[in-house]
Amino acid sequence: MTETSPAAQQWADHLEAVARRQDIPAFEALFNHFAPLIKAFALSSGLHRNGDHLPDELVQEVMLAIWRKAASYDRHKAAASTWIFTIARNQRIDMLRRLRKHQNDLPADDIWELEANTELFGEVRQSRVQEQVRSQLSELPVDQRQVVAKVFMEDKSHQEVADEMALPLGTVKSRVRLAMKKLKLSLEGLDL
Amino acid sequence: MTQWHPHPDQLVEFAAGSCRPGISIAVSVHLHYCSRCRQALSELESTSAVLFEQQAPAPVADTAFASLMDRIAREPAPAAAPEPQTEQRFPRALAALLPESLDELDWKQPMKNLRVTRLMKDDSGLIVGLHHMKAGGRVPNHQHRGEEISVVLEGGFSDRLGSYGEGDFIRRSGRDTHSPQADAHEDCLILSVVEAPVKLTGPLGWILNPFLKA
Repeated sequence: MTETSPAAQQWADHLEAVARRQDIPAFEALFNHFAPLIKAFALSSGLHRNGDHLPDELVQEVMLAIWRKAASYDRHKAAASTWIFTIARNQRIDMLRRLRKHQNDLPADDIWELEANTELFGEVRQSRVQEQVRSQLSELPVDQRQVVAKVFMEDKSHQEVADEMALPLGTVKSRVRLAMKKLKLSLEGLDL
Repeated sequence: MTQWHPHPDQLVEFAAGSCRPGISIAVSVHLHYCSRCRQALSELESTSAVLFEQQAPAPVADTAFASLMDRIAREPAPAAAPEPQTEQRFPRALAALLPESLDELDWKQPMKNLRVTRLMKDDSGLIVGLHHMKAGGRVPNHQHRGEEISVVLEGGFSDRLGSYGEGDFIRRSGRDTHSPQADAHEDCLILSVVEAPVKLTGPLGWILNPFLKA
């Protein structure tokens, strides 16, 4: 796989159309695909338990940010879905922290910098990682897949997942690590 | 590219946004110096994006797009913050916690070679602070309770487990005792994230506990 998938290219094209000419049909196509995913992402962290309107509010905030920040999207640095995920993650962090009413927190964008990666990881390379992840995910044993989905999507630390599933912390951590190995992420090659 | 890095578990939680706020600041500062961890993070975010796209979609109201477009028409976009003109001395996550000059901070000086200041306490009980060691200065042997993370910002230091330079992310658990010494040729500035007050094993026990009284 050196080519990016047609869908991935299409989302990047749409983001560029929004950036260049405020293209509303392109934005609507992005909305139709991503808004229900952003809402699912909000629900998976339990946002609705703090207020029924919050998942829809997150959808609006994230899509608004996509509209406004589209000009800073660079397909040479990131796949469209990755860029959109990072915006959704940051907005969700801010929303969850506002609910906790803690005064000291920095805006998520100061910590999880969207522009931090100056390396050209690139659409092609990221798409390759994504293809690899997509094909390997379905191969994972159920117990690993379940833990990975919780750790990556539900705003839960390894410890919180362990508590929820009544598993030892070490078991949760090793399932995630085994999964990362199977997905062939270079993270696992890191000598620690 | 630095020599000492966050644990992969910490990078996973950072990518997911679920790590404790104090730790997220330390990881963010380290990423500024470390291309290897930036690449690992990029892969973790790509992985997250696949899982994100594989979720079962949750339908939104038919009117949602129209009301968003109404809002876009009504609300002018906030003016973008001006790009800093000069190279910043510190990474963004830390700069956001600092005043114009480090001298404006409330420093406590428990000993001749060391001054410390507290920047914030997060909602999980972690304290984020700065340690400034004088060139060549040594801090007496002490033990840690709970986890302590240090990220070297300027200069370097060493202890019996290694020597550390700019960007290094050093993890110490409750069982380690160490006596760090700053490199001889320049002062060492360290970002520190601590769980619990440091307990000295020597008679200076109370001295390194300025955070207790803060």
